[in-house]
Amino acid sequence: MTIRHILTAVSAVCGLGLAAAAADEIKVGVIAPFSGPFAQYGIQYQQAIEAFQSQHGTVAGEHEISFIYKDVGGVNPDQSRALAQELLIRDRVDYLAGFTFTPNALAVGPVITQSETPTVIFNAATSTINKESPFYLRTSYTLPQVSAPAAEWAYDQGIRTVVTTVTDYGPGIDAETAFKAAFEAKGGEVIESVRMPLSTTDFTPILQRVKDEAPDAVFTFLPGGPPTFSYTKTYNENGLREAGITFLGTAETEEINLQGLGEMAEGLQTVYHYSPAHDSEANRAFLTALSELHPDAIANWASVGAYDGVHLIYEMVEAAGSDGPKAVEAALGLEWESPRGPLEMDPETRTVIQNVYIREVARNAETGLLENVEQGVIATVGDLGWTK
Amino acid sequence: MTRPFIPALVMLIAAVAAFFLFPYNLAFLTRILIMIVLVLSLDLVLGFAGIATLGQAAMYGAGAYAAGLFAIHVWADPVAGLLIGALAGGALAALSGAVLMRTQGLTLIMLTIAVAQICAEIANQAREVTGGADGMRGIRPGKVLGLWEFDFIGITGYWYALTIAGLVFAALFVIGRSPFGLSLRGIHESPARMEAIGVSVYRRRLAAYTLGGGIAGIAGALSAQITQLVSLEAFSFTLSAEALIMLILGGTGRLYGAVLGTVIFMAVHHTAAANDPFNWLFVIGALVLAVVFFLPSGIAALPTSLKRLAKGGRHAGS
Repeated sequence: MTIRHILTAVSAVCGLGLAAAAADEIKVGVIAPFSGPFAQYGIQYQQAIEAFQSQHGTVAGEHEISFIYKDVGGVNPDQSRALAQELLIRDRVDYLAGFTFTPNALAVGPVITQSETPTVIFNAATSTINKESPFYLRTSYTLPQVSAPAAEWAYDQGIRTVVTTVTDYGPGIDAETAFKAAFEAKGGEVIESVRMPLSTTDFTPILQRVKDEAPDAVFTFLPGGPPTFSYTKTYNENGLREAGITFLGTAETEEINLQGLGEMAEGLQTVYHYSPAHDSEANRAFLTALSELHPDAIANWASVGAYDGVHLIYEMVEAAGSDGPKAVEAALGLEWESPRGPLEMDPETRTVIQNVYIREVARNAETGLLENVEQGVIATVGDLGWTK
Repeated sequence: MTRPFIPALVMLIAAVAAFFLFPYNLAFLTRILIMIVLVLSLDLVLGFAGIATLGQAAMYGAGAYAAGLFAIHVWADPVAGLLIGALAGGALAALSGAVLMRTQGLTLIMLTIAVAQICAEIANQAREVTGGADGMRGIRPGKVLGLWEFDFIGITGYWYALTIAGLVFAALFVIGRSPFGLSLRGIHESPARMEAIGVSVYRRRLAAYTLGGGIAGIAGALSAQITQLVSLEAFSFTLSAEALIMLILGGTGRLYGAVLGTVIFMAVHHTAAANDPFNWLFVIGALVLAVVFFLPSGIAALPTSLKRLAKGGRHAGS
């Protein structure tokens, strides 16, 4: 039974016609945290969506596109699924989008398969999500996508021994696994893999241990915010920098907290797919549109994930309107220029193939602000964790 | 003797009416029903027996994971899954309660929180089994009693959850009036006196905690079957705390209070969050503050309070 049948049945029960779903309006339901400690994600998404609409209007093909925002709070799969059902059944959305956390994205899998609703993931970065339904499309990244190139790049720079320190939760372990596999495949050695409890605030003992091991580099994965701050502080204060142990990270020097890190962050190297300092016409246009609407807005990976997600939705709507399977079909293999560089929707993994950059934190001479300066593309890859 | 059944009947009619009034919100209504089961379990533990706990999510999570694993590896039958959930919740409560029920007050509260945290960490570490932070997926419950399939809109889910919530309510209604229930209230009022008249306070409290754990396990199992995914958040402190707020909102020690508090909290939460996804927490905060200040015994006590107010008013006038 398809969603149309079900909806017809429900409508008949309630004495409502299907006429309410006008052919010229396409609704997109955005499920994201808009309250609580992770509200920043929802705000970033919304700002990016508005920026995209101010640049490209609200019409794709012959369809008017509107967004409905739903707050999921934090990690809450029950709520996520209930919201998805409500959006599909009551609000009649044709597309779903958002999803910051993996469980929230996974929870809607059975629902979107049944309703054949293309669902664009703006953030959630675990490879396996896309295997749960053919209707998932991801415009963010996956952890192996940035961790494995980081390992290969490090080896090519002459780094032979590494200690990995990751936060002990899903994404951290994914990062550790991918880094280790890629580094050892090249011939390097991971001397030790430290998993730090999620609530760690004092990194001194861990980093002291790293210093004693005296590796060429320390690879780390931390959730954004305060842990990054104290980790980098300890890295500097305990003399790991002087000892010549290279810092290798991914999202640690993320833009929202970057200025707070201050001088300690300067020179830190990270491997990632987007920096607002990216030098391109598309990026400048995006940042201008964003700051015109929201002068205080800071662009980061969440913004660009949403921005490209909306781009993808516009393309799908133009090609297929509200026909879910056809829309996904149209999205596969699609190529476009994103603020982060060229993108391609991988037909197999349904995660974007993108450039991965090596960046270094430096102070911008003009603005006096810290930024992640891209020093080059080290890989152009899709989801490397797909076949694992 | 029929009077105590009237409110229960009204609630049942309301639940059936809700099905027809809000056909588009069945998923949300089902979540309310699951939460009602959890809050009822808390009412038994905290409201009846006076066991201060902030870790009811431990048993809820145990039930959810147990039911999920059972459905994936053993048998997809939902009712059997509920039993497994109840067993898991009850077993965890009995095990932890054997130690916890010897303590009281702040120590007890801290320990209940600790148990839930330990469970969450175990589930996090056992990634191979539980899926860790990604959540446990692949739960596909079979037909309820071999007859009704879980559908997309949530019709089966709603009636299924309503039946279970109704049965739990009825069971607690009976237990509350049984000698065991009355002895629990006695312990709540004065443990020393109950001890003096020869009641083993420890055993009664342990029994109540275990029973409450079993019911919380049922709630967890229900949520695993309806959402078809279990995440670490099933053990979260937030869940325990929210259940407690709902109970206090409605009024502790009254079954109607537990139901009313849950419905009001979740309905306000839902409407406020839908109308303003950014600032709705303010509304919830104001609601809780208002109830705590003006109706310290909960919303279920509103009629009594109003009566008292009216009487007081006459007194003042005369």
